[in-house]
Amino acid sequence: MNGNKKKLSAAIAATLILPTASLAQVDTSEWQCEYCPFDDGYRAEVNAGVSYVSDDAARFGNGTGLDEKGAYLDLGGTGRYRKNGTDVSWYAEDLGLDSRVLSISAGRPGTYKLGLDYRELPYRQFDTTSTVFTRTGAGDLTLPSAWVPAATTDGFTALDASLMPLKIEKDRQILELSGEYLPTRNLNLFADYSRQQRDGVSVMTGSRFTQSAYLPRPIDDYTDQINAGARFSVGAVNLGLAYYGSFYRNDRDSLTWDNPFTSASGLEQGRLALEPDNDFQQLSLTGIYRTATLNTAVAFSAAMGRGEQNAAFLPYTISSVIAAPALPGTSLNGEVDTSNYALTVTSKPLDKTNVKFSYRHDERDNQTPVSTYSRVITDTFPTSDAETNTPYSFERDRLSLSGGVKLFNSVRVSAGYDRTELNRDYQEVAEQTEDSGWGKVRWRPTTYLEAALRGGSSRREIDAYNTDVAVSLGQNPLMRKYNLAYRYREFAELTLSASLPEKPISIGMSYLYAEDSYTESELGITDSEEDRINVDFSWAVSDATSLYLSAGSDSIDASQLGSESFQGPAWQASHDDSFNHYGGGFRIAGKNEKIDLTLDYTRSDGETDILFSGQNVSSNPLPKLESTMDSLRLVMNYRMSERMDLNLGLRYEQFETADWALDGVQADTIPVVLTMGADAYDYDVWVVGIGIRYRIDTGKSATN
Amino acid sequence: MKFITLVIATTMLLLLTASPASGQDPNYSREGADSCLSCHDDDAVLALFKGAHANPSDPNGPFGHGQLQCEACHGPSGDHAGRVRRGQERPSPNALFGSETATPVSTQNGFCIDCHTDDTGFGWHGNDHDTNEIACADCHTSHTAQDPVLMTATQPEVCFECHQQQRTQSLKPYAHPIRQGKMDCSGCHNNHGATNELQFAQQTLNDTCFSCHAEKRGPYLWEHAPVAEDCGNCHDPHGSNHPGMLAMRAPMLCQSCHSQAGHPSLPADGDGLPGGAPSQFMLGQNCMNCHTQSHGSNHPSGSRLMR
Repeated sequence: MNGNKKKLSAAIAATLILPTASLAQVDTSEWQCEYCPFDDGYRAEVNAGVSYVSDDAARFGNGTGLDEKGAYLDLGGTGRYRKNGTDVSWYAEDLGLDSRVLSISAGRPGTYKLGLDYRELPYRQFDTTSTVFTRTGAGDLTLPSAWVPAATTDGFTALDASLMPLKIEKDRQILELSGEYLPTRNLNLFADYSRQQRDGVSVMTGSRFTQSAYLPRPIDDYTDQINAGARFSVGAVNLGLAYYGSFYRNDRDSLTWDNPFTSASGLEQGRLALEPDNDFQQLSLTGIYRTATLNTAVAFSAAMGRGEQNAAFLPYTISSVIAAPALPGTSLNGEVDTSNYALTVTSKPLDKTNVKFSYRHDERDNQTPVSTYSRVITDTFPTSDAETNTPYSFERDRLSLSGGVKLFNSVRVSAGYDRTELNRDYQEVAEQTEDSGWGKVRWRPTTYLEAALRGGSSRREIDAYNTDVAVSLGQNPLMRKYNLAYRYREFAELTLSASLPEKPISIGMSYLYAEDSYTESELGITDSEEDRINVDFSWAVSDATSLYLSAGSDSIDASQLGSESFQGPAWQASHDDSFNHYGGGFRIAGKNEKIDLTLDYTRSDGETDILFSGQNVSSNPLPKLESTMDSLRLVMNYRMSERMDLNLGLRYEQFETADWALDGVQADTIPVVLTMGADAYDYDVWVVGIGIRYRIDTGKSATN
Repeated sequence: MKFITLVIATTMLLLLTASPASGQDPNYSREGADSCLSCHDDDAVLALFKGAHANPSDPNGPFGHGQLQCEACHGPSGDHAGRVRRGQERPSPNALFGSETATPVSTQNGFCIDCHTDDTGFGWHGNDHDTNEIACADCHTSHTAQDPVLMTATQPEVCFECHQQQRTQSLKPYAHPIRQGKMDCSGCHNNHGATNELQFAQQTLNDTCFSCHAEKRGPYLWEHAPVAEDCGNCHDPHGSNHPGMLAMRAPMLCQSCHSQAGHPSLPADGDGLPGGAPSQFMLGQNCMNCHTQSHGSNHPSGSRLMR
């Protein structure tokens, strides 16, 4: 080791062993904490009751598990045991439902902690659907033996007799085990493992050239995830090293289905590929260094990952009568390398100023081999076309610089500049930049009032729109894809929050305006405008009573141009989205804390108006897409005794939609598509519940 | 090598100068928490003892052996606890918490981060909440048995106090189950750290989505370019008027990129609805009536994302 290396090592060692000085030298030997009511022993609250749901409604059960008419068991609670330095806690929610949660953690605070979490999440999409397909033991989809194929759905003479109700729903179960160990105050070791399992049925479509059928696709897959690492601090430096792994496994690689439409001999079946197994692993290093010099913090992160997918290929076609060429390989050998680097420096060089610099680099480097494939179109038509896969890669660099200064003690002025550069391959735009500038004024004359106005603009520019790439993909060379197009954006945002001195009343308001112009797009999105306004009001009328009101409105309007004839604009369309909501509620605690009453109400309306005009557009416009929802929740809690409460709950939800994509669309409505005939959502559901809450308390409020 | 040594040595010097000064003797109360609780004995204050901060067995907690008890967070407050002369206004504690107090946000947060350095405070410095001077106490409640922002069902409403637009979006007809209390904001956002622009829990937006939707990660043989780059090109994860949280209704969504002659570029009107000539390009799943693999396909014949 030469002299320089010795000096270097000594400097590093000196820093690493530098003890962290205590915040203050205080003699606490006489601090007895005699009045401290430390919570010791075991305390718990257990809820038990029953709810009744008035009607079947899949969407109402989405997330809640209350999708079917009938009675449900309400079970839940929370508890904690704390004794001699050991802390155990548990939490349970909706144990009688498909949305159940159970969480247990145990440990010695400041030393270690172990956790177990189990959650279920129901996804309920449709309960008005039906299918002609039956799933075999192997999971393939077959037609009834009496099925009569036809060229169009109106020839399906056995349809009515073959349709069987089938709900489109799935459940997600998540099991998570976590551990944390703190061997010293400055070192934190952690490891989490989770498994997310999904099972149920979703909809895929199987197509045969100009025809297709909705398929009840079984879902049975899981993802294991591991997150482990260490965080430690030495003096003014914090460092973290972590490993993340995600391993997706799907038991089924394909879905085979009988074609309900007329097929030539040997072409009666189709096959879809399902999601292949994939692995992703990533190492990351993060850190922060703080220094009193200019009051500065330097944060960095570096992560490198690799994703792999190497599931065995399916053959070009399931048909044995089609002679397909050999595949270029037995599997993809798909590999994606990711890298993410970031550096952020924040500094407050003067008392009332701050500056921030940040740089970030994200890269997806798709190393998947490029090969040539000759597809068999929809398991029917072999082609001699040679198609090569396009493993998309990109690099994105983002640079930000911002600063602010406080003026007159009540006004803060700040401004910033951002630049994003994006480089891609295989797409129409290889290089893209976006420059943004913004300014912000914040006015805070008192601690009770704050108003802020932020505004700016950004310009997204491209080096060139490569129409050769577009044409090779069959695209109209005049199209400018909306995420690749030149765009100029202006935006402004106003926020206001106020409360009354000595009065527990507060008001919050925000307004956002943004306008995008795609002035170089002859086809595609040409402009869009966004307005969002929200207002909140809350008032703590007394210690026992509080109320709130809330309202919001979103409006997003977009226009675009299109052409079906591969020429200039032949039609134009507007897509006007709006959504409004308002609601309110109150909490009332009754006399002597005997009765608590809580009410929440929300009303929302959504509307989308799509209007096409121009060539080959009839004078018969599309009806509006509409949705309305009323949601009411009333909860009363009556304290029967020191240990027991009686709970009464009432919940109402009305949801109604008008959706031209679903309204009146039965299984055979579309001549060339056999659907499942899902109805647009329309339900009124009442839920009434009664239960008790029982408190268990074997502990004491101990004092030292 | 000399240059590197100089850089490292300078860095070490900065590290040394950045270490907190020792030997301070600020004005703490005479009896610690007992000084405070002899006056502040209401339920709101005492609720602290039901929570995680008031555990005498936690050696690193405020009430661990030798720790500074109430003054670990509220700072040395001997003047506040001491005697005052008649007519003299009692000085405030060293630090009070929340936006409506006179204590500077940086001072408030400094007390929290001094202890929470290795966990939630790890990436705080320089993140957007720090830059915008958000106090820890704007979101967190420590004088309670259970901090609402740490519970999935109650966390979103805490975030929505500032992020009102996201509350509105979460109420839209097609949204993640936030309204139902089964998903929280921190499932996707790392509110205390993250060096990416929207404080995603994972390195990028797509990585964050893949943490629940791993089946869409691939890589697929036939990729859909906007999917590989940014899920937000087609989806609005905070909520939408359209199924699948799509940013627009198809076919317009697809037509904002796809312009092949013929069926991908057909306009839509009322004639394509039931009662007219029901259109496979508009009804049901519209474009996805055939192109069902919009997130990518691993089928050798799936280049058009139909297989």
